[in-house]
Amino acid sequence: MIDKRLNTIQQIFSELNGISIETSFSSDLEFNIVGKIKVPVESTDDCLFFDVKIYPEYPLKRMDTESITFSNSDYLEYGHVMGDGSICRHTSHQTDLKKKIEIDINSLKRWIWKYYLNKDNDKHYEHLILQPKEFKGNHFSFLFTEVDHIFSNQQFGFFEFSKINNGLYHEKVIFNNIIQEFRDSSSKKVTECKWSSAIKQLSNKDLGIYVFLDNPPAKMGKFIISNWEDLEGLVNQNLHNFLYSVQKTNLKLNGKPIPFLIGYRVSDKEIHWQVAILEIGKFPIESYKEDKVWKGGFIDEDIVWGITKNCSYDYFFGRGRLTENITKSKILIIGIGAIGSMVAKTLTRCGCTSIDVVDYDIKEPENVCRSEYSFLSGICNKVDDLSNELFLISPFVEVGIINPILFHVDSKIAQGLNSTNTELQKKLLHYDIIIDCSTDNDLLYILSKLELNRLITLSITNNAKDLVCSVEPKSYNWVMNQYENVLENEMENLHNPTGCWSPTFKASYNDINTLVQFAIKHINIKLSDSNKNLRNFVLKTNESDVFSIKLDEF
Amino acid sequence: MDKSLHLDSVIKTHQITKEEQLLNKHKDKNKEVKEALEQKYESNIYSPFNSGSYAKNTAMNTKFDFDMVCPFKRNAFGSNGTLKQMYEDVFDFLYEKYKDDANVRKQKVSIGIEFFADEDGDIVKIDVVPGRELNQDQYKDDENLNLYVYYKYGNFDQGSERIKTNVQAQIKNIKDRATKEKDSIRKVIRLLKVWKNTKYNNPAKSFFLELITIKAFDNKDVSGNLWGKLETVLQYIRDEVTGESFTLKDPGNGSNDLIDTLTTTERQTLSDDMKNMLERIEDNDENIKTYFPENSKFLEEEESDNKYENKGNGFYSNPPKNERFG
Repeated sequence: MIDKRLNTIQQIFSELNGISIETSFSSDLEFNIVGKIKVPVESTDDCLFFDVKIYPEYPLKRMDTESITFSNSDYLEYGHVMGDGSICRHTSHQTDLKKKIEIDINSLKRWIWKYYLNKDNDKHYEHLILQPKEFKGNHFSFLFTEVDHIFSNQQFGFFEFSKINNGLYHEKVIFNNIIQEFRDSSSKKVTECKWSSAIKQLSNKDLGIYVFLDNPPAKMGKFIISNWEDLEGLVNQNLHNFLYSVQKTNLKLNGKPIPFLIGYRVSDKEIHWQVAILEIGKFPIESYKEDKVWKGGFIDEDIVWGITKNCSYDYFFGRGRLTENITKSKILIIGIGAIGSMVAKTLTRCGCTSIDVVDYDIKEPENVCRSEYSFLSGICNKVDDLSNELFLISPFVEVGIINPILFHVDSKIAQGLNSTNTELQKKLLHYDIIIDCSTDNDLLYILSKLELNRLITLSITNNAKDLVCSVEPKSYNWVMNQYENVLENEMENLHNPTGCWSPTFKASYNDINTLVQFAIKHINIKLSDSNKNLRNFVLKTNESDVFSIKLDEF
Repeated sequence: MDKSLHLDSVIKTHQITKEEQLLNKHKDKNKEVKEALEQKYESNIYSPFNSGSYAKNTAMNTKFDFDMVCPFKRNAFGSNGTLKQMYEDVFDFLYEKYKDDANVRKQKVSIGIEFFADEDGDIVKIDVVPGRELNQDQYKDDENLNLYVYYKYGNFDQGSERIKTNVQAQIKNIKDRATKEKDSIRKVIRLLKVWKNTKYNNPAKSFFLELITIKAFDNKDVSGNLWGKLETVLQYIRDEVTGESFTLKDPGNGSNDLIDTLTTTERQTLSDDMKNMLERIEDNDENIKTYFPENSKFLEEEESDNKYENKGNGFYSNPPKNERFG
């Protein structure tokens, strides 16, 4: 079987135009097929040589990486070459062995043309390539954001971090940490990461050390240095003195890990941090006498690089978010049952950073199946539970819990039916967008009379058959007319689990969230373009044949 | 439901005579402002006159359009005086006079005076439109005025000195048609105004809706019951208002095109308004109730003959039909 595959591959390669086999293919101990090929460089007399390794799953992919590699460590200086000399390529899915080899060879030729021959430099910054290593069998990660401070070359000091959840990183334990603030060598605060106040208030803090360099600690511009001696030329004696004194004052912590951040500039606007894990008592430093003066230096020892991630807002939400007209708004969500909690979580995941919530209700286990609450937090105030859920998602969201007297004293008593008292309006004008998911008709009546920046109401009929969304001012009558006269709202078939005093509607998480997401998508599209007009709308579902949703604008 | 019956009730409950007290308060304030202006500007002003919907017989009781046109003499603000000076001068005068009793603010071509609510909670609003004759003493002959555009008004740019028009001719045109065709044109105009009043900051002026309604009647076979007539006008606006060659001639000045009071986007929005309205009413008659709402203040309550009947108001332990969920 293996022989047959080997022969086939040898045959296909030998028949390929423009390449030749330098070392015949053979099978290694891990059933990979290995060989060497020669590829002439078009319109030159040059030839390039590549070791070829074909994994057993080829032409299928290995996880999400290619299962064929072309490598030569002589080409490390060129673009898109990994540390082991393999060329970084992404080719299309193909199940036919011969066709897949042709595709891969073509992509190799494209690499030769673009990066070897034309020496292209990609416009976007390529982060340094590094393989995280274990420290005493564990991995470490440090998450950071941009800061409002310009670090200078050789600046060093302490940084504070909070330990968060440990987990498994493949088979090993990983200790995850959040970088909080940077201090100078006398522990005076220099700057802090731009997390939400909830993240800043995390306890379980500890200290590490950092140095900032103008240039990346890299070889050939893209491979991170691997030995401490490589750092020598980049730092000065002050850092060595600092490292020496840190180790000396922490002798009682011998054997413990301490993170050492090395920062550098990657563009005019952005800096990056890498982390090396040091062991207290075994810092990779030495001191020696030169011209009768004691000096410090690094020793010949491999660097244990940990994992860092820039989690700044633009990276964190880089893969997709709502329009800035929503994300930059101050938002109040009134009522956080099924719809309200879904809206809150969606806005949080989509980049909103200022969300206040108000509700008087208690979360019970039976709420969990169709809202964004979790079972394990037990019975508690919905507002507290939801704000915790939101903090878990986004390190940038500020969640304010508003006093539930808004539902009663502030609105129905102080404002009342005819009162001209505008205290409530003044309070609510603080918000750019108010999303009323309370389904409280009395409250809607009162809110509709106020001049607000933008009031959106969301509610559904029984069985989540329709979703009614008002976005225009003074929409009370429109909402009521939809429920009273236009839509079917089947009231005979409610869920009465504990008696007729607590009926509720029937619908699953899937039923409700399908409509909520549809509605948010529509609102986002309209609000992202100032030429578009957001109007009241109703989503109508139809299950008679295939499931469909129809959006009726008013 | 019978849509025409509903529309009749909309018109009936919006009749201005039903708000006699508020109407009288408007008339009184109107008189007061008029006299104040005459006293202030003496021989530099011709007699101010009402140009709003009350004057045109198209008024309704949820929004009183009391517009007062103030025709100034050409040299009222000096022989080199600008329209801007005129506008600012009138604003300064009205602001000083009414700042303790009202919100006085600059609007597109007018100055709005919104008096604070009185002891009955009534609010009187009067818009003063300053205009200047084209040449000294010419107004008596041609009634033409130049208006000042205070801020961007459709395609008219801010500060673009003048809109020349003959307001008397504008009023006469609308009033004549609305009076002569009171069961058709007048009713449709009133319904469109009721609709406009459900919208927040709708950019279409009442005068625009009046003219486009008349144009629809002149260009289409508008017939049938009230809903049929309204539907035809709505379709006409939907189909025509975005057309590149569509014009709406100002009866006060043939070279003014009222379509220029809306931007391209606003025209599209108006067309979409009509499209959505027609489709939703086609989907379900009941939707007509929020596009063209009755004035609940003057709705005669029907007596319920069976108090125990469940009309969706809640029955025993079942929640009412207007219970919203979420």
